[in-house]
Amino acid sequence: MQSRERMDKRITNGIALGVIWLAALATVGALGTILLYVVVNGIGQLTPAFIFGWPHGVNMDGGIWPTIQATLYVTALAMLITTPIAVLAAVYLAEYAVQGRLVSTIRFAADSLASVPSIVMGLFGLSLFVEGIGMGFSVLAAALALSFLLLPIIVRTTEESIRAVPKYIRWGSYGLGASKWQTVSRIVLPSALPRITTGVILAAGRAAGETAVVIYTMGTMINAPVSPLDPGRTMPVHLMLMAQEGINMPAAYGTALLLVLMVLGFNLTARYIGRRNRRMQG
Amino acid sequence: MTESRDPRTGEPVPDMCVDDPADAVGAPDPHSDSTLSTISKATYFKEAALRNLFLLCACVAVAGVGLIFLFVGLKGWPIFAKVGIWQFLTGAKWYPTKEFFGILPLIVNSLLAMVGALVLGAPLAIGTAVFLSEVASPKLRELVRPAVELLAGIPSVVYGFFGLVLLRPIIARLFGGLGFGLFTVWLILAVMILPTIAALTEDALRSVPEGIREASYAMGATKWQTIWRVLLPAAKIGIIDAIILGMGRAIGETMAVVMVAGNARVIPDGIFKPFLTLTTVIVMDMPYASGDHRTALFGVAIILFIISMAFVAAIRVISRFGKEMS
Amino acid sequence: MRLRRLGALAVALLIVASSLALAGCAKSGGASQTSLTVTGSTTVLPIAEVAAEDFQTANPGKRVLVAGVGSSAGIESVSNGTSDIGTSSRDLKPEEKPLGLVDTKIALDAIAVIVNPSNPVSGLTKAQVSEIFQGKIKNWKDVGGPDLEIGLVNRDEASGTREAFSKFVLGTADFDPTAAVLPGTGQVRSVVAQAAGAVGYISLGFVDSTVKALAVDGIPANEKTVADGTYPLWRYLHFFTKGDPKGLAKAYIDYILSADVQNTVVRDAGFLPITEGGK
Repeated sequence: MQSRERMDKRITNGIALGVIWLAALATVGALGTILLYVVVNGIGQLTPAFIFGWPHGVNMDGGIWPTIQATLYVTALAMLITTPIAVLAAVYLAEYAVQGRLVSTIRFAADSLASVPSIVMGLFGLSLFVEGIGMGFSVLAAALALSFLLLPIIVRTTEESIRAVPKYIRWGSYGLGASKWQTVSRIVLPSALPRITTGVILAAGRAAGETAVVIYTMGTMINAPVSPLDPGRTMPVHLMLMAQEGINMPAAYGTALLLVLMVLGFNLTARYIGRRNRRMQG
Repeated sequence: MTESRDPRTGEPVPDMCVDDPADAVGAPDPHSDSTLSTISKATYFKEAALRNLFLLCACVAVAGVGLIFLFVGLKGWPIFAKVGIWQFLTGAKWYPTKEFFGILPLIVNSLLAMVGALVLGAPLAIGTAVFLSEVASPKLRELVRPAVELLAGIPSVVYGFFGLVLLRPIIARLFGGLGFGLFTVWLILAVMILPTIAALTEDALRSVPEGIREASYAMGATKWQTIWRVLLPAAKIGIIDAIILGMGRAIGETMAVVMVAGNARVIPDGIFKPFLTLTTVIVMDMPYASGDHRTALFGVAIILFIISMAFVAAIRVISRFGKEMS
Repeated sequence: MRLRRLGALAVALLIVASSLALAGCAKSGGASQTSLTVTGSTTVLPIAEVAAEDFQTANPGKRVLVAGVGSSAGIESVSNGTSDIGTSSRDLKPEEKPLGLVDTKIALDAIAVIVNPSNPVSGLTKAQVSEIFQGKIKNWKDVGGPDLEIGLVNRDEASGTREAFSKFVLGTADFDPTAAVLPGTGQVRSVVAQAAGAVGYISLGFVDSTVKALAVDGIPANEKTVADGTYPLWRYLHFFTKGDPKGLAKAYIDYILSADVQNTVVRDAGFLPITEGGK
């Protein structure tokens, strides 16, 4: 009968929507639990002595400054190496490419690189940069290995940003007699720049948190790298080693918190730039 | 390819006939009798050179894949030559110090970890995506979507650390045993692949045209009926893509797994027993492996790479298949 | 133009990073006239490294370079002159005796078998320990304990502690392959502390109130029984020199043997000090 059907429909609807709410709640809950746990246990460690001090002793008491420096250094270097190549590659794919076997292959390769397990990338970096070319454990080797990992990510976000630039803006440029490169470099790229920047900053956050790639290319030595050929230990590597050793847990918690704060910082900055851009455009 | 929209009105701007107007203001046409060209030869060559430069940059990706095969695959090749690829893949004993190089238990363990993570994580992720796309108010959306993106940004070593110090003792207390094992890994991996699957599913749901939803409601369907019978099937291809991407992420994850799996080189006989996977074997053995053992680890790495490429290929095939169907 | 600004920002970041690095660089030592090379066991490495660091601070101008490559490699390199001191976690093998090396023992490493404090079992025979870690005994009730499955905790294969334990307890037998393999002492300790049926092994120096150390063959595990040699699972940590130690090597070794270092660095690393009049 009609009213019973209507009631069944509504009951199922209610239950299903309830489940969906639960799913969303579980997701937010998971994030909240992890963040809360790291913050509560690590906040006591956030003293200037911890952030700027050096570790000493068998169990790495003291501070973690060299790891912070190593993390920032390798992230900056990796972004410097990847971004120009990735942006230009995205320009090609978005503006110049014609659908065909070559473009298909490039996309497949980019997708493959994006899904490489990071430990495979780490062994790759070890084999090619550390041993093959002979750089030894170094910031440069790690940055090069990381840049292969980040390349497809930045290409994807840059390509989307470029495609999001409305077509008629380009037509105006061409109509004025500009060449393709003039259009791209003076009109399209600057217009897409905020979104490109967002993508780059998010990729930097990913680079800062990488462990498996860095451990086989930069080593595990406590060192504050100065030249790109210096080895070093980054924060994620330090966290892993502290957690595995298990003796100095406070240092582990402090490192975890600082790392999460760093990544959060990247995330929020990217989001802020994105929002500012949208507000300006809207 | 997304259509361009007018940023002021939001209306789609229609595609004009000329695909790339830059071609209209292009090079001197060798086939034309006219001596009129719209740009100078110098500009033409500069344009061509730039185009090739960009092409070169794009090909870095292809070079990368090739280099990985070269420097990981070749380094692992000796073990395939020595033991035989078939024996390597199907050998049931991984005991390198005694010259046993069979990675079958590792493959099985990686698959077990991946399947469980999917069973737990995919429904949760799809539910969250449905929430974001269909159920949540714009304000809630502003709250939950950043949460999902933040989950994606947390480094895997932090996940592993969390699993090690908080999850493992709880599971040990609740279920006995040491707290390592498939169950713990499933929980951690599910949360890790959740943002991947949720983001792509949400994209897929959002690209279902609004008209379809309106038609469904107009026929008297409840929200759930619309979601279950209309929207999810319509977004099927995108959701499958999302799940396969999640599978790839689950099977390739190392740091989080190595801290909570327990690392015993056997197929576990229970979900609370320690086990070793394709990824964790590399991270556990590399510090001291030498000779054939080290070569074998590179062999495992190239197998991992091939598996992840297979997932990428699967996504392409399914997407193409889906496009042909619609 | 904005691209140029980004590039400038990147360069500026690099400069900031480098200058911070130079500021933090103050800790690293400078050039030196006398330097000492110390290579060998990874088990002894923590002591050697930290002592070297402190020694360098106390004696500016002197360098001590430490590397961990393995006991055998350390013995070989000191006997052929490549390094000044070879560290080792094992005694000399018969074929290494005629090399003319002088042994200075610098610490004691005792391995304790630990269980959860709630486990009523307080001692096992060496044979029982061996069978448990081979996986032949699977339940505590078979060794006089409650009906509880044994949760076996092993160390990773790179661990010196695992190597020593294997030699003392298993002989030529293999560890149970289904045991959990953990990569650090602290992890073994905290897992055993939190799981009722767990059993593992760690250096005696790291045993604290969260775990219980079992007596082996009736001998309880503590510093006294290790010092008088009655506790069965122990070994010396050695510094080998070609001939008697002299010069900078002697100064370094004396430094490590000083009560201060013995009670801080050695204990921090989980080992026991070499006592006066100990064996």
